Amino acid sequence: MEDARQRDMDGTSRARQFVVYGMLGLLALLVLFPFYWLILSAFKSKEAIFAAPPQFYLRSLELGNFNEVFEQTRFFRSFFNSVFIAVLHCTLTLFLSSLAGYAFAVYPHAPGRERLFAFVLATMMIPGVVTLIPVFTILTKLQLVNTYTAMIVPGAANAFGIFWMRQSVQQHIHPDLLDAARIDGCSEFGLYWRIALPLLRPALAALGILVLIGNWNNLMWAFIVLRTDEMYTLPLMIYLLQGEMRTPYGQVMAASLLATLPLVIAFLLFQRQFIQGIAAGAIKS
Amino acid sequence: MGAKRRSLWAYRHFYLFISPFFILFAVLGLYPLVFSFVLSFARWDGLTEAHWVGLNNFVNLFGDELLREALWNTLVLGFLYVPPMLIGAFILACLLNTGWLRGRAFFRAAVFIPVITPMVVVALVFGLLYDYESGIFNYVLGLFGIAPVPWLVDEDWSKPALAILLVWRWTGYNMVLMLAGLQSISKEYYEAALLEGAGPLQRLRYITLPLMRPVFLFCGIMSLIGTVYMFDEIFVMTSGGPGASSLNIGLYLFNVSFVDFRFGYASTIAYTVAFFVFIATLFIFRFQRSEGN
Repeated sequence: MEDARQRDMDGTSRARQFVVYGMLGLLALLVLFPFYWLILSAFKSKEAIFAAPPQFYLRSLELGNFNEVFEQTRFFRSFFNSVFIAVLHCTLTLFLSSLAGYAFAVYPHAPGRERLFAFVLATMMIPGVVTLIPVFTILTKLQLVNTYTAMIVPGAANAFGIFWMRQSVQQHIHPDLLDAARIDGCSEFGLYWRIALPLLRPALAALGILVLIGNWNNLMWAFIVLRTDEMYTLPLMIYLLQGEMRTPYGQVMAASLLATLPLVIAFLLFQRQFIQGIAAGAIKS
Repeated sequence: MGAKRRSLWAYRHFYLFISPFFILFAVLGLYPLVFSFVLSFARWDGLTEAHWVGLNNFVNLFGDELLREALWNTLVLGFLYVPPMLIGAFILACLLNTGWLRGRAFFRAAVFIPVITPMVVVALVFGLLYDYESGIFNYVLGLFGIAPVPWLVDEDWSKPALAILLVWRWTGYNMVLMLAGLQSISKEYYEAALLEGAGPLQRLRYITLPLMRPVFLFCGIMSLIGTVYMFDEIFVMTSGGPGASSLNIGLYLFNVSFVDFRFGYASTIAYTVAFFVFIATLFIFRFQRSEGN
């Protein structure tokens, strides 16, 4: 029996390995090709981008597209806006989620806890499209259209975040630990801030990444609430580079490459947390 | 009463800690939910006075040809890309789940990168790839002697073009979920099957697929719901065109809301669609559960 299993694991090997690696290699190639094309186009001249037949390698390295992006658009301003908004939105979301999630986990006897938590879970089922117009109307009334606040605050009350953090607190923080600190005179907020938060770092990272991806790539909300080019985020700025008649594709590709790189680099560095974050986001419902 | 109040006071930190969420949600979640329900019985452009129209908006749903087209497109698009995507994700997950595989991290990273790329960028790059004269798709077809396809400029081809983009974009995401599903299947099943002399196909047919059914169902439903509300992909790539051939519910809602500024009618559509999506999801998961028992 041991034999049969052995053969199944590596016995048929050669042919089977060839098929598996071949298929994976081919799929990886297909998936990565558009990125190759993005990089290539960013360094191509305008004529080369639309050359027929397509040019699969660089004839010459053109940095003109990047120069144009830096000179003719407010790229750095948009870059700053994107970073600023993403960082603040993430921080706010993580703070609200972890504080509430912590409370739901460590005060099991608080009256009404079950019902309040069920309510939080129920809010996850509300699709965003239903609240889009009222939220926009509220922001208009408060004169918050075209401000950072309009990009940072909506969506920060994240029910999934609370669910996720509550679970992490239950898994990683023993009540005895908190009791011990309480006896030493630590305040209730101090327990959360100094004892719980450091232990929750991995959970915070996973949730933070999930939130960050959504915020960094968000186009629709930016399109609705941002009005002037000094407020544009990268996705919006790139989208609006497209002209009615003619689109400067070289610039578009150069800006696109620069907007894609930060997350891709971060992903390559923190792969495990990224995949945890995404997998976590998927168990939402 | 006094005792109850005392216990509330004893747990003041609990209420204090959860209050920021509830306050923010009350303002930007609950109030909007009620507001848009009320709006669905009104006509309002966001600026001038709102008018009550009773059930008119709901009656108008039936005569709305664009809505019907958007609904149809959403269904067609969903059934075009979800099955190949799920099959692809499953095959990928099986390949990556192979015990002796080396370079797993590389392959996993490769198929996962589309998920973290800004949708604007994806759509713009695919726009180049779909170009009639200089695009790769038509170039490759040409190598096989197939005539060029008018991907984004023909009403019959806009949906397949979007479907290809969507498969590319979301397969890695679903693969992660399927991989988690595969890894949660107990090894004992396979060992028992090996003892019985079951071949790889039999193991797939009698162990893997039945146990993966809930994962398939989950991924499938989530993807179909995603297709209903999808926006960025279509907005950037085709703006719903040519004609209305790639208009889905999400984009139509956006147009009614922020192009036509018919806030009342948009709320009616949003509520109605959300209601049916909710009911359908509930029904399918119930059905699945009762069948599982």
